[in-house]
Amino acid sequence: MSEAVATRLRSRSESRPRRRWSPPRVAGTLVLAAWAILFWFLLATGRDAFYLSTRTDWVVPVAAVLLSAAALGRLASARVTEPEPLRTRELWAMAAMVVPVVLVMALPPATLGAFSAGKRTGFAGAGFAASAAGIGSGELTLVDVAAAQTTPEGEAALAARAGETVDLVGFVTRYPDTPADEFLLTRYVVSCCVADASVAQVRVVNVTPGRFEDNEWVRVTGAIYPLGREVIVNASAIGAVPRPERPYLTA
Amino acid sequence: MADIAIRSPSRAASTRAVVAVAGLLALGALGLRLADPQRVAWVRTYLVIFGSLLIQALPFVMLGALAAALVEVFVPITTLERLGRLPKALQLPAAALAGIAFPICECGSVPVARRLALRGLAPSAAVTFMLAAPVLNPVVIASTFVAYRGRSAMWAMVGGRFALGMMVAVAVGWAIGDRSQDDLLKPNPQEPHGHAIELGRPEPRWRRFFVHLSNDFLFMGRFLILGATLAAAIQTFLPAGILEGAAGIPVVSIVLMMGLAAALSLCSESDAFVAASFVQFGPSPQLAFLVFGPMVDAKLLALYGGTFRRGFVRTVVPTVALATLAGTLWLGVALG
Repeated sequence: MSEAVATRLRSRSESRPRRRWSPPRVAGTLVLAAWAILFWFLLATGRDAFYLSTRTDWVVPVAAVLLSAAALGRLASARVTEPEPLRTRELWAMAAMVVPVVLVMALPPATLGAFSAGKRTGFAGAGFAASAAGIGSGELTLVDVAAAQTTPEGEAALAARAGETVDLVGFVTRYPDTPADEFLLTRYVVSCCVADASVAQVRVVNVTPGRFEDNEWVRVTGAIYPLGREVIVNASAIGAVPRPERPYLTA
Repeated sequence: MADIAIRSPSRAASTRAVVAVAGLLALGALGLRLADPQRVAWVRTYLVIFGSLLIQALPFVMLGALAAALVEVFVPITTLERLGRLPKALQLPAAALAGIAFPICECGSVPVARRLALRGLAPSAAVTFMLAAPVLNPVVIASTFVAYRGRSAMWAMVGGRFALGMMVAVAVGWAIGDRSQDDLLKPNPQEPHGHAIELGRPEPRWRRFFVHLSNDFLFMGRFLILGATLAAAIQTFLPAGILEGAAGIPVVSIVLMMGLAAALSLCSESDAFVAASFVQFGPSPQLAFLVFGPMVDAKLLALYGGTFRRGFVRTVVPTVALATLAGTLWLGVALG
């Protein structure tokens, strides 16, 4: 009886073609795994904040899970009966797909800085309607200050707070025509990802010339004076601060 | 196995080549770490934008590949045949409206449309769906609403984007006409064409699902990387103020905003915030930006180039451009 079963099993296994690893499927698995690792890395280190806004950072855990599942699924289906070789062109294409992973993981975290401030759209026109009531009361943030310029009501609400003390964090930006005792305190406002970043800026006056470098993160305390489309902060204290964990603001 | 590379003229890679490529990647990582090219301002800007475009868009490509694999493996062919039996006049609008049910951006809609066409949906309907989904889906409409909230043109922008997006997508489907799947789609060398994934015994569904999912992701991903490379370069070096001088010239301003949308390659779920920022441009050019961008942009052109045959781009780009221009001009007149 047992010999009959063994014979049947043997004949079944002989009739079933032997599966071997398929190089293209294994290579694809490695690419998927590399991308999965990148998304887990972004999630674990909080570096997603350097690329995405708080509104869209949900894609990172979703991608990490999906890519991991896809890599495992591809690996599980990578043994086939008639493996094709991995073509040279495919090999290079797969390698090219890993290059962005290498770039993001090998380089130190970086953010947009003063270089692109002059090339990007000003937040004042970025279409985020500011609530005049929100601007008229409570602590003023850089987003409030910049968004106030999107509507006449917001502008009026901010004007009513002229002379009040604000406490703002951003990085130093200087253009060729910026006087030595001033700088523009800049922060990027991101809606989805850095590609749609717009600039929120206030002009800081009463600055010790040469004390702060471009791109240096600072905290500015001082009195705010909205002058039409420009907002000036007369600094009473400026101090260097570390780059915030979330360098971009979300509107 | 049939990860069929039969059509590929490329030679098989030797083990030495595989090791060399892996070594190059490792050396590159080490070199980058030591040299830190991000100390140069433009390199840093470029790499941050490049990385952010990919980190945001690739999950959507994955979601699109997931939807495409589900369509391939689990949607019975009869469902698609039923769609194909609709009268011609209804097929394209129905395909465009189906986009409402897919909250995916433009990167995700390409693999879905490709898979629909491979499964037998009329290619013109698949293309209509592909172009409509990123404009008509509820997430995009909601983000347009939020971006224009509080402005007098809010409903014109939300309604205009929906109506014009649908009209343009249908116009492209109509221009594609009766072209067959073979006329339109490029073969994927990683993928079987017309027969089971593995020769001999059919593969179980779960294996087919994962093979389709990863094949689509790997196929689309490389073109997305190519597109992001180009879009990041444009974003790094193109000053936003360059267009301001042309904002008041009717046709020129619309064409410029379409060109800008194509160059910036923004996700359709966020582009409304950027469009709304161009306050110097009127509603018509902004609408052109919102309709044209999700259908034709730098990263999409790379994706289209990898997915479709050359004639497709020659049909789609002028048709989308002309239909968008005509539609926004008409809306401009209607809105006064």
